[in-house]
Amino acid sequence: MNEPWVKSSGDLVESLVAEVARLGGLAEAQIADCVDAVTRRDVPLAQAVVARDVKLDALQADIERRAIDLIATRQPTGRALRRSVAALKIAMNLERCGDLARNIAKRSLVLSESEPLTPLTRSIERMGRLVAGRLKEVLDAYTAGELDKATGVWVRDEEVDEHYNSLFRELLTYMMGDPRTIAPGAHLLFIAKNLERIGDHATNIAEIIHFEITGDVMSGERPKWDSLQRRSDTLKEEG
Amino acid sequence: MAERERPAFAEMVESLPDPVLVVAAQDPDDSAGRRLVFANAAARELLRIQAQGGPLVSAIRHPRVLEAVDESLFGGANGEAAWETGGAQDRFWRVLTRPLETAPDGARLALVVLRDETDSRRNERMRADFLANASHELRTPLASLTGFIETLRGHARDDAVARERFLGVMAAQAARMARLIDDLMSLSRIELNEHIAPEGRLDVVLVVLDVIDALAPLAAERGVKLSPKLVERGVATITGDRDQILQVAQNLIDNAAKYSPAGGVVEIEVKAGLTAEAAIAVSRPGAARLSLLSPDLVGGERFVALKVTDHGPGIAREHLPRLSERFYRVEGQKSGERLGTGLGLAIVKHIINRHRGGLAIESVEGQGTTFTAYLPQL
Repeated sequence: MNEPWVKSSGDLVESLVAEVARLGGLAEAQIADCVDAVTRRDVPLAQAVVARDVKLDALQADIERRAIDLIATRQPTGRALRRSVAALKIAMNLERCGDLARNIAKRSLVLSESEPLTPLTRSIERMGRLVAGRLKEVLDAYTAGELDKATGVWVRDEEVDEHYNSLFRELLTYMMGDPRTIAPGAHLLFIAKNLERIGDHATNIAEIIHFEITGDVMSGERPKWDSLQRRSDTLKEEG
Repeated sequence: MAERERPAFAEMVESLPDPVLVVAAQDPDDSAGRRLVFANAAARELLRIQAQGGPLVSAIRHPRVLEAVDESLFGGANGEAAWETGGAQDRFWRVLTRPLETAPDGARLALVVLRDETDSRRNERMRADFLANASHELRTPLASLTGFIETLRGHARDDAVARERFLGVMAAQAARMARLIDDLMSLSRIELNEHIAPEGRLDVVLVVLDVIDALAPLAAERGVKLSPKLVERGVATITGDRDQILQVAQNLIDNAAKYSPAGGVVEIEVKAGLTAEAAIAVSRPGAARLSLLSPDLVGGERFVALKVTDHGPGIAREHLPRLSERFYRVEGQKSGERLGTGLGLAIVKHIINRHRGGLAIESVEGQGTTFTAYLPQL
């Protein structure tokens, strides 16, 4: 037993967590770069983001394989089992973030062919920073095992929505004012939606961390700052 | 003799102001196997490293930085990468890596040094923003001044009544330009110190009382009542720059008084011993709300909160996210003497960020607005 070349389950779990952190770093860089590609109209950067996405896919597949392998052969229990499952699930969320970043980069390529809409791309930049900040916080919470920080991200989910709604109205005003902005405006709308979904993945990851640390599913109402009813009212007014 | 006085090498690196790390690794394919065998005090603080020997990716996970480290570990070459730490306090780092001699146990070693380039990056961006916005903001009053000068030289030359009126408008425009320049200068001073922690102790209650005393005559002129509800003296103490906290209270209360209808009440509340969540807890049900700034939390901190509530027109939700942006003013508020410079909230936000606090806003259109500034309690 315990031959020196056989890694302990603890080591295996730890290296799984490290790989997830590395995947998180890749996803963060993809998001920062794709937003830069939009705001700076940087075509080579956008192409690089699109090309790099395969790396994330490969790493996610590798994490999945290793996690399943670990669960099957070592049969961990308790916290070790939760950490393995959490790694698996967080990797899936991060890979989706990468896909959304690639999609934003592709749209930025189309946007670079039309006239710049500077105030709108600045709004995208602000929203991108907010979303990237949330993902960073949640990944910091993951690597440090800090429950408070993860809960903080989960609670402040509404900020991203407020930014999205504000940008949505701004875009509508532009597109109604000048039909030539409809095509780039539509792409910007999808970009904003993609950023919002990256924010949702950050919230998902916060929930997974909560489960990993406590063993409980996060329950209770998030403090709702905005009721759905109000939002649909404001949309109707615009229509 | 000089040799005896020389401090130990490890101690010197430990107290270097720049973050310094040493990374060890055996196998290029094992990313979890790259471990931090040394981190000096500055690095431990920046990267929140609790124990030595942990994996590198738990501290830094940016792919370009990891690649630079690998170049030194396994390529024997010097590496370099730019790294931006997001979050509330955005910082830019230049990461330099150097290969070290292989350890006796065969582990490869690399030295990683981080150099703070936040200031130069910030200055670059500030210059660009300033040129774009300030020139636009200054052009409006200037155009009006030039217009009136031309009129006074032309057909209004001998019209005493018109001359008086125009001079009055010109004085107001000149005052507006002066206010704008004052605000710009105070903002740039605050920004220069934003990443230097403030020193000194102060009681937020005393500061708020001073501000209320100073603003009472102005508020009375507008027919607005200031209604304070404060904790006892000596409870709401924080570490901070008194002049700056005074400016925060002044901007928030002055703004609330500005947007209050005649006969309105501005409620000013100071609370202590709150958690971050309690500090931004909903106080107006059904309000649109947004956190304009939230501090990095380590857990267990307590905050002093200053809440300023007016019963003015309120702010529509679509304006909230851009509120603390420089020169942003809500449309439809650009009338009369209420006109501000559009810099007041930006100043508040930067001061609070320097004090590692947070800022939240709640507003109901037609009912009023509540600003909550919260700062770490001593």
